[in-house]
Amino acid sequence: MGSMDLVYICTSAFAAVFFLLMVLAIVMRVIIVVFPQREAEADAAVLAAVATVAASIYPGTKITKVEEIK
Amino acid sequence: MEAFLQLAQESGFANLSWGNWVMFAVAGTLIYLAIVKKYEPLLLIPIGFGAILANLPLAEMGSHADGIIGLMYDQGIKTELLPPIIFLGIGVLTDFRPLLGRPLTFLLGASAQLGIFVAALGAALLLGFSFKEAACIGIIGGADGPTSIFLTSQLAPHLLGPVAVAAYSYMSLVPIIQPPIIRILTSKKERAIDMPQMIKVSKTAIILFPMVTGIIASLAIPSSAPLIGMLMFGNLLRECGVTERLRKTAGGALIDIVTIFLGLTVGATMGAAGFLTPATLKILVLGAVAFSFSTAGGVVFAKILNLFLKKKINPCIGAAGVSAVPMAARVVQKFVSDATDGKVNPLMPAMGPNVAGVIGSAVAAGVFLTLLG
Repeated sequence: MGSMDLVYICTSAFAAVFFLLMVLAIVMRVIIVVFPQREAEADAAVLAAVATVAASIYPGTKITKVEEIK
Repeated sequence: MEAFLQLAQESGFANLSWGNWVMFAVAGTLIYLAIVKKYEPLLLIPIGFGAILANLPLAEMGSHADGIIGLMYDQGIKTELLPPIIFLGIGVLTDFRPLLGRPLTFLLGASAQLGIFVAALGAALLLGFSFKEAACIGIIGGADGPTSIFLTSQLAPHLLGPVAVAAYSYMSLVPIIQPPIIRILTSKKERAIDMPQMIKVSKTAIILFPMVTGIIASLAIPSSAPLIGMLMFGNLLRECGVTERLRKTAGGALIDIVTIFLGLTVGATMGAAGFLTPATLKILVLGAVAFSFSTAGGVVFAKILNLFLKKKINPCIGAAGVSAVPMAARVVQKFVSDATDGKVNPLMPAMGPNVAGVIGSAVAAGVFLTLLG
């Protein structure tokens, strides 16, 4: 093998690593879109506590959703 | 008296060469660095002691002798058994969420393998190493000890000692090697870029990742399957949530046992005759070159990406693409935090390219094996 062969091997190897990781990045991005993270529902105890407090201040109020924002 | 004289003449003391003494000093230095400086102690202690054992004349404790270390070498390294088992443990211990939350950082992990190929070219074209030897020297730039051992044991087993020592030594020197390079290649403004939020990743995607990666990488580069396959199997054990006992064993007792065998055996390849050669010095120099170019490759590619991105990324995180998990990410975090008075802390963003680098270097080793093996 000549020196040009090694240049060729190294260039192809670097390109192969790059290409493979790029494919993995695209595939994983697709998987993340196809299987999105579901919003976690609020804890039942938290929901009950919020509903009780709200009902005591504003009687008749119905709590339909509690969202946690971090 | 005659028997005593005969015993003295046939003792190791009578057969010690100056080379053995030099190797005792080298081994002592490795053990000193591990104990006092805390540089990769889990590996440098076994490697250092293995080097001592290999340099005891007549004791047959070298990797190429007929003793128990030779047995471990033949059964564990020659057969390619031990490095993939280390990868199994690494898979268990690695959280790939930072990578999956920012898939773009896969590319930084790839670009930070640049040093592997630059050093390989330098080794062959400038310093006269054969292509196979050059590839093994270049892989030091992947900053991944098991990968370096895996490749070298197959392409250039006579260089195993110096390559492994260079790989682990430079991995522990990441905090010294990387910051000056990052400083030269980035501006104050770039260091202050705060990373955009990562995408939320579902449990399903996290479980699919090791399977998809294992299949795609192993189909594309079959020679990388022993490393990537075991890495991804370990990660599946971690993430699936139903194999707690296997996860604990693979990430605990098993990786510890294999680390002992691997470290001792690699250290025991450092016999004076094979280690004290000009080639070892060249390998150490080329290892530093490989590391530096890998660091620069990651940073420069991040800057190139920024030319096309709306939400810019902090180019410093590119330096973390040189595997060395999690030290490279910690170095980037400290560097950026110090440069911005604590306002920007990219530890988690840097973990993305960091773990991508593990995959990248294993794939690079597989490519070399395919083309040169």
